[in-house]
Amino acid sequence: MRAGDRELLSVPELDVASGRTLAVLGPNGAGKSTLLRALGLLSSHRVSGVILLDGRPATRPLMRHAITAVLQRPILRRGTVAANVISGLRFRGMSRREARLRAWPWMEALGLVPFADRDIRSLSIGEAQRVSITRALAVGPKVLLLDEPFTGLDSTTRADLIADLRAALSGQPTATILVTHDRQEALALAEDTALLIGGRIRQHGPTTEVLDHPSDADTARLLGYTNLLPPALTGRTHPLVARPEHTHLILDPSDGPAGQRDDDVRPVPGTLRRTVALGIATRVDVDTAGGPLTCLHPGDLPGTSLPPVGGDVRVRVRQARALAGVDGNGWTAGLGSRPSAS
Amino acid sequence: MDVLFDGFVDAVELLLSGDEDSWTIIALTLRVSLTATAIALLVGLPLGAIVALARFPGRRVLLAAANTGMGMPPVVVGLFVTVLLWRSGPLGGLGLLYTPTAMIVAQAAIATPVVIALVAAALQQVDPDFRVQMQALGANRVRAFAALLGEARLPLFAGTMAAFGAVVSEVGAAQMVGGNLVGQTRVLTTAAVLATSRGQFSLAIAFGLILLLIAFGVNLSLTLVQQQRAVPR
Repeated sequence: MRAGDRELLSVPELDVASGRTLAVLGPNGAGKSTLLRALGLLSSHRVSGVILLDGRPATRPLMRHAITAVLQRPILRRGTVAANVISGLRFRGMSRREARLRAWPWMEALGLVPFADRDIRSLSIGEAQRVSITRALAVGPKVLLLDEPFTGLDSTTRADLIADLRAALSGQPTATILVTHDRQEALALAEDTALLIGGRIRQHGPTTEVLDHPSDADTARLLGYTNLLPPALTGRTHPLVARPEHTHLILDPSDGPAGQRDDDVRPVPGTLRRTVALGIATRVDVDTAGGPLTCLHPGDLPGTSLPPVGGDVRVRVRQARALAGVDGNGWTAGLGSRPSAS
Repeated sequence: MDVLFDGFVDAVELLLSGDEDSWTIIALTLRVSLTATAIALLVGLPLGAIVALARFPGRRVLLAAANTGMGMPPVVVGLFVTVLLWRSGPLGGLGLLYTPTAMIVAQAAIATPVVIALVAAALQQVDPDFRVQMQALGANRVRAFAALLGEARLPLFAGTMAAFGAVVSEVGAAQMVGGNLVGQTRVLTTAAVLATSRGQFSLAIAFGLILLLIAFGVNLSLTLVQQQRAVPR
């Protein structure tokens, strides 16, 4: 996919079976929305390649009939909630009465019946997105495209909407593609996940597996493995990565050096840079010979149990993952100088 | 005050008397201004949509030109149309000068920039992804565009009313290219100017009032359509 001479996106293959959900997880600017629009033949950019629908090359009329999309901002038409929910069915030539009958169960499933006659201008952003999602589902699409539909919603609204969507999709023959930058959304909604970075798919597989096994520095950062441990620090062949919540200061000097699990790493020495109380957790930043590490301790850490800033500490890293695809030689830790793996 | 009062009385009498000359003037005013507005819409709506939605070099310059055109003095437009249609002018062979057709051309030229500028503004205030979202619900390009027009119906109707208001009230172009020929090209504005210059103030006021009444009638119709429910249940 190109804009002028610039390549926006290059995806060799991506498939979604009916009844399943694929999450395309990527950072901002990775090309997620671009990919989604290309898949729906909704893009104004130059796309080369083939999009197959039920094994046949998809034409615009075929695709228009098969897909619906929910965009990041709920774009509704002036009028009532009910009129908006039936608009996809109306575009497909259905009478207003029939469309209302078809859409009603979806309005019930998504809890919109009490809102049916409300003017959309009186809705909150969360309610509007709920209308947008119901409108897309009411068509009974073969393919449902979701473009970061939960971004900008407060956490309660978001959790409710994700649960309702998951319940609504279960048992439906719809192939769903969700693009998001949030791995929790991928985990909650998608059986499969593809990681998209810089316009290319870096990993693709079952969600639980992909989310827990980063293959390179970029995917590690995307998946929350933000602590990078170069081979020089760990004595392993490959660089390791770990989540901050699995990285802790060793506060009890009698703590043994060996971990319980294979993926545990020998304690890493460093100096304490700062501690920040975050309410439900305490963040501790440590500088090591291999670069900075972030530790996340649950709850409040009493100040008395911590060494002073600049003092020597040891860090225990659990559930580290080896970046097997990344060569350990020449690896320099630190945020600005990570090698870009491909 | 007597003059004003007499004007009101004359206007009512003129309307009720069924005076043929007055009705000819009223009918021509409506015909010329409504036709000119319709032509301006036919030309201006697609152009305004292109300026609003397409991306091409010079787009902003075009929009600025249309915005400037909104304030173009009718006399200037009248002058250009007169020169074009003058017997020795480039379109002189058509013999259109001092005909209602010439007045329609001039008024359409006045109204078209108004329509282009206001259509562009109306469509640009809708979410830029609106058409993509409509297509992603099953609309083809034409229906998605129609849905966009429906979404922008309030400002689009306002633009239509502004265009009609600009032409029905102008006098310079109508006078220059029409010539104010009685029974042929005399409209309410030119008739009012003539009556005033002759000192027939009450008649001039009568024409003015009728003009206001017509403008109100047309705008009332448009407003009623504009304010209908956007997406019927």
